[in-house]
Amino acid sequence: MINVNNLTKDFNELHVLKNITETIEKGEKVVIVGPSGSGKSTFLRCLNLMERPTSGEIFVDGTDITRLHEKEVNFIRRRMGMVFQHFNLFPHLTIKKNITLAPVKLKLMTEAQADKRAEELLAKVGLSDKANQYPNQLSGGQKQRIAIARSLAMNPEIMLFDEPTSALDPEMVGEVLNLMKELADDGMTMIVVTHEMGFAREVASRVMFMDEGMIVEQNIPAEFFANPKSPRLKEFLSKVL
Amino acid sequence: MDGIVQWFTDFGEKFYDNFIKDARWQYLTDGLKNTLIITFLSIIIGLILGFVIAIIRSTHDKTGKLKILNFFAKIYLTIIRGTPVVVQLLIIYFVIFGSFDIDKLIVAVIAFGLNSAAYVAEIVRSGIMSIDNGQFEAGSSLGLGYMQTMVYIVLPQALKNVLPALANEFIVLLKETSVSGYIAISDLTKGGDIIRSLTYEAFLPLIAVAVIYLVMVMFLSFLVTKLERRLAKNDKR
Repeated sequence: MINVNNLTKDFNELHVLKNITETIEKGEKVVIVGPSGSGKSTFLRCLNLMERPTSGEIFVDGTDITRLHEKEVNFIRRRMGMVFQHFNLFPHLTIKKNITLAPVKLKLMTEAQADKRAEELLAKVGLSDKANQYPNQLSGGQKQRIAIARSLAMNPEIMLFDEPTSALDPEMVGEVLNLMKELADDGMTMIVVTHEMGFAREVASRVMFMDEGMIVEQNIPAEFFANPKSPRLKEFLSKVL
Repeated sequence: MDGIVQWFTDFGEKFYDNFIKDARWQYLTDGLKNTLIITFLSIIIGLILGFVIAIIRSTHDKTGKLKILNFFAKIYLTIIRGTPVVVQLLIIYFVIFGSFDIDKLIVAVIAFGLNSAAYVAEIVRSGIMSIDNGQFEAGSSLGLGYMQTMVYIVLPQALKNVLPALANEFIVLLKETSVSGYIAISDLTKGGDIIRSLTYEAFLPLIAVAVIYLVMVMFLSFLVTKLERRLAKNDKR
């Protein structure tokens, strides 16, 4: 589904990603872990071109998206949902409007269809009673669940999660992770950057360890946590587990 | 006692001379009408042009695109904000439209509209730049284009933040139109001045003009304060 070939990203003199080559198949749940500044968020943000790569190719179903024009990139982004660390809900719109804005404005659904879809999604994330409230009235965990619902409204084929629980109070992490787990069980292709090792162990089909702009090691979760091979991963796991 | 009676008699006479005789009050009401027409139409031009410039400038700041348009916008802002509005009015009337037979009101609307646009542009731009980049990212991650994100997500929030500043700009504009007399438009200020030249009495007509401006500005300021309170209430929610 996604083939990354020799991807590099520089911020001026800083080499954030160094020649990353990787393949992600449909239905996989890839969890990316690593220390701060390892480039894991940048890697994720390159996949839907939130960041423009400095060089290299990213193929989505065979199309090199780094060569597309801005308009065509928007079509690719519709197929890839993204959930941000700071939710980025639209504070001037009600919860329901947050969810229906994109499908309606992009003329993918009528207002009525989008409303119906929003109600389904709100039921799915367990926040049906919040439809007509505003984001500021919600807790962090609720906001992130709405952000996930908003992404799902576009019926994406793949979901990118950029540290979705890092800005949450500890007691709210669980509700968001549970929802993500449900999504995974539904068969959604997911790429998740997180510090939640429990989630990685439980949900991931593959765990990736990034450090200094490279994918240092990856494995199925059981092996990844039980038998880390590289010294850097051993050191990282000894600090976080 | 006699003095006070005398003063009131004099005042009554002066009042009659300045406002009642030959229906001189009409200089003020006709002037006020012109002042309001110029202000209102200038605000509309200022808003439309100001928004366009603000979007050009902030798009350039955020994405590095629209280099040429941004270059011209910057020149425009520098010239407009760097010269007095009276001089702009005179140049537009005598230089640019010098050889055309054109309604002076239209000239004034163009001059004040172009002037106001520069200030509106910078106010709106500051509003756009104050919106968190995450809002742009959330919009584009959903597949919305840059302009769609701007119009549906960023501008409504930006506008709300700068509404009081915009309203104040329009209050300033109302007062600035008092220089319309330089191109012989009978606005409110000019109306008072005409009465002064007819009666050789400065106090009453000029004070009357000042009071009319003051009442309008106080009323508009009152509306702005109410608006600010309502916006603040929405934020608490």
